[in-house]
Amino acid sequence: MNKADVSKKGLRALQKAGLEKSESRFIFSRKHEFNIDGGEISLLRTTEDVSLSMAGITGNREGSVTLNKIDDASITEAAATVMESAMASQPDPANDISPAQPPAKFARGPEEPDMDGMYRRITEFLEYAGKTYPTLILEQVLLDFNSVEQHYVNSNGVDLESRLGWYSFTPMFTSKDGKDTSSFNYSSVVMADLDKALHELGLIDARMKESTEQVRSREFEGKFTGDLLITPDCFDEFIRMVVGYLSDYPLIKGTSIFKDSLGKQIASPGFTLSSRPRWEGLASGYFITEDGFVAEDFTIIRNGILKGFMLSLYGANKTGGERAPNSGGAYVMEPGNESLDDLVSGIDRGILLCRFSGGYPSDSGDFSGVAKNSYYVENGEIMYPVKEVMIGGNIAELLTGISGISRERADFGYSIIPWIRVEGISVSGK
Amino acid sequence: MHPGKLKEYVHLFEEYTELRVQENRSLRINLVNGDVMTNSSGSAGGVSARTFKSGYWGFASSPIPDPDGITRVIRNATDNARFLASKEKKSFSPLPSSPGTADRDFSTGKKRLSRKEIMDFIRYLDSTIAERFGKLTSRTVSLQLLDMEKSLVTSDGSVAFSMIPRSIMYVSMNTEKNGEPVNLLEVFGGLGQFEDVFDEPENLLPHIDELYEHLMRKADGIRPDPGMKDCILDADLAGILSHEAIGHTTEADLVRGGSVAGDYVGKQVADPLVTLVDFANEALGQICPVPVYVDDEGTAAKDAVLIEKGILKGFMHNKESAAYFGVKPTGNARAFRFSDEPIIRMRNTVILPGESKLEDMIASVENGYYLMKPSNGQADSTSEFMFGITMGYEIRNGKLGRAIRDTTISGVAFDMLKTVTAVSDRMKWSGGGMCGKKQLIPVGMGGPAIKCKLNIGGR
Repeated sequence: MNKADVSKKGLRALQKAGLEKSESRFIFSRKHEFNIDGGEISLLRTTEDVSLSMAGITGNREGSVTLNKIDDASITEAAATVMESAMASQPDPANDISPAQPPAKFARGPEEPDMDGMYRRITEFLEYAGKTYPTLILEQVLLDFNSVEQHYVNSNGVDLESRLGWYSFTPMFTSKDGKDTSSFNYSSVVMADLDKALHELGLIDARMKESTEQVRSREFEGKFTGDLLITPDCFDEFIRMVVGYLSDYPLIKGTSIFKDSLGKQIASPGFTLSSRPRWEGLASGYFITEDGFVAEDFTIIRNGILKGFMLSLYGANKTGGERAPNSGGAYVMEPGNESLDDLVSGIDRGILLCRFSGGYPSDSGDFSGVAKNSYYVENGEIMYPVKEVMIGGNIAELLTGISGISRERADFGYSIIPWIRVEGISVSGK
Repeated sequence: MHPGKLKEYVHLFEEYTELRVQENRSLRINLVNGDVMTNSSGSAGGVSARTFKSGYWGFASSPIPDPDGITRVIRNATDNARFLASKEKKSFSPLPSSPGTADRDFSTGKKRLSRKEIMDFIRYLDSTIAERFGKLTSRTVSLQLLDMEKSLVTSDGSVAFSMIPRSIMYVSMNTEKNGEPVNLLEVFGGLGQFEDVFDEPENLLPHIDELYEHLMRKADGIRPDPGMKDCILDADLAGILSHEAIGHTTEADLVRGGSVAGDYVGKQVADPLVTLVDFANEALGQICPVPVYVDDEGTAAKDAVLIEKGILKGFMHNKESAAYFGVKPTGNARAFRFSDEPIIRMRNTVILPGESKLEDMIASVENGYYLMKPSNGQADSTSEFMFGITMGYEIRNGKLGRAIRDTTISGVAFDMLKTVTAVSDRMKWSGGGMCGKKQLIPVGMGGPAIKCKLNIGGR
């Protein structure tokens, strides 16, 4: 199967169907996945799939189809469906495809899995976890190799090709000592090779150690306003919430809390956040954006100032804003000036937040949820793991309330994030 | 592909094997302030095989369900199981067998609407909302259709075909109060193709009028006071309570992974008013939102009674967990895509109705909250759950007061269920849920209104 032939066949079918502007993206993906369930190796799963996405515009009306059959008849039928969909839609001048760019090919990561190496690493992890943390149960663990080959063409002559290969590792675990049970916890990493023992990656070993401590978590009564010290993996989730407000949907609707903040201070001065899908310092990333451009790294927030929105080509045309140079993800935060120990010692009363289980933040930025796998901090010391503690705040205020960023950062392969200390968060016990 | 054709490949099975051909067909249309932001259809199909050898599973899939593709996935799945079995030995129990046969097709018998007719339906709703409600700052109308068609044969004799469609419409409205955006969303639809679920757009308008009224009150609403409160959960919330608070904790793979429910079988975990069942396909005289007749391991699906009059009775099982716990499989093994292996999933998880009247329940609360609409939720091995609340009212001296803004509620299920003091006589089903647990999967849920104590989050 020649990937370029399939995507070009899709493009020709769209043009033949009468679409004025058209684009076609073919993806061939493979996965090799080892599973641990209930503390034992249970499953080896190998999958392959194809995906052909065909989209077209006629009279400023847009339609699209994604299918995983690539025979000539299916592609011709899909092109007709794109035309029918577009004709059923309504004109919107914001619909467009990416303009002419030089053809380009990209590649990153291994092409084939090292199956014996994967098996060796996952059994080594199983043995390490069993010996080091006897009360920890590996609920589900996934070690997989992924290969994604992509070819994008459009009627403006764009022709982009990429191949990505990576390993990812996600253990999920709970600790149980007698009848005392911890909350479940998990951590994920992405890597280009199997050179390191799996428990040494990201914050996996720390998360497992904490889990064994959390079997005897404590409640506390009452509520207070204090500090949060947010771990890197947990803060990655808050970054995704922030970026959500900077993307097409809330900006087009006009509901984003940051809609008038471009070029303005939205976070504390030490806060710098970039999206770096091209950077080789991360094991994962991508080269082609969802709207058919070569992806470029860029800084979203520099020294607390919002430098750009995460708008797609459509979102940029719709709002009059500037298209983002990439499709998000691969977040890298600059380190701060303080050590992690200094951040802890600066807390009078607060929570070390290791996992946040919360409702979707509201349009106004309010969020609330449960502080999972987390610790009570008082007078600069981490005191004890907590349970049934809720926290609440506002995303915009969280960014401006950052009072410290650690020098230390955690590298998850898909992002690199420091520990973040935030003031003014509501904490309530039972 | 009909399962009869798949039977032609059974002679290639060398170990216990499941062979499944599946296609998911979808349509997504998204109108934001009248502009079509998404207008996309899709289909993703293929063949997968899963085999069991000496306690290890092998799985393989291919997007091409032709004779070569089918033969190849059977061979690759077998090789995968043998690869693991060759590496080490482990003790295991033989898989139990309750093979089922089924041929269930929920396709509409009506003439299929064209894309333009469907688009016109959505645009009518959108333009009516724009005309009727002057105080909106933005509006979104979205349609998501999903047809899941599966054919399955297994080496222990199951032969099953199903076509389970789902049609869901989302209406979301925004307004502003003092420059602050306020949002409310309602979900319509459930089991069936578009033509069977949505007849005339006018029929949705009374519900949309009601949604707008609630939004206006929410805009003038207050942030709830955080802490432990007396709450009435409306029937719309009982479903997510059933799913998140108890359902996940009683999935047998999570029990094996350390869930506290493992320690509570046969014990009182809830007030005797509470009975909770994961229904396979029919309940209370009607077909459930996500009917499962034969699961994706080929087991004839049975109802799983989880809590009966407050006593924890058992868990939801696949074949392997049933063997581990020494019980019969319940038919809860489900896969979302053709390339997914079946894992233990809920189907239609419901708290059964009681005898109280909702009005009396509200009147019995001196100082608390009436919580009406959920957003997302999450469970835990400790049975501590949370879910987002997008609509509710304070209750003062037995009467509804001001609306509240978005919040999150939490509790420890096996503590909270003991605080239940009333269960209403009317229940509601929700057929729009998607559950995430390695894979996504459509789930049904439901229940009556419930009076209990819960921890309210907020600032």
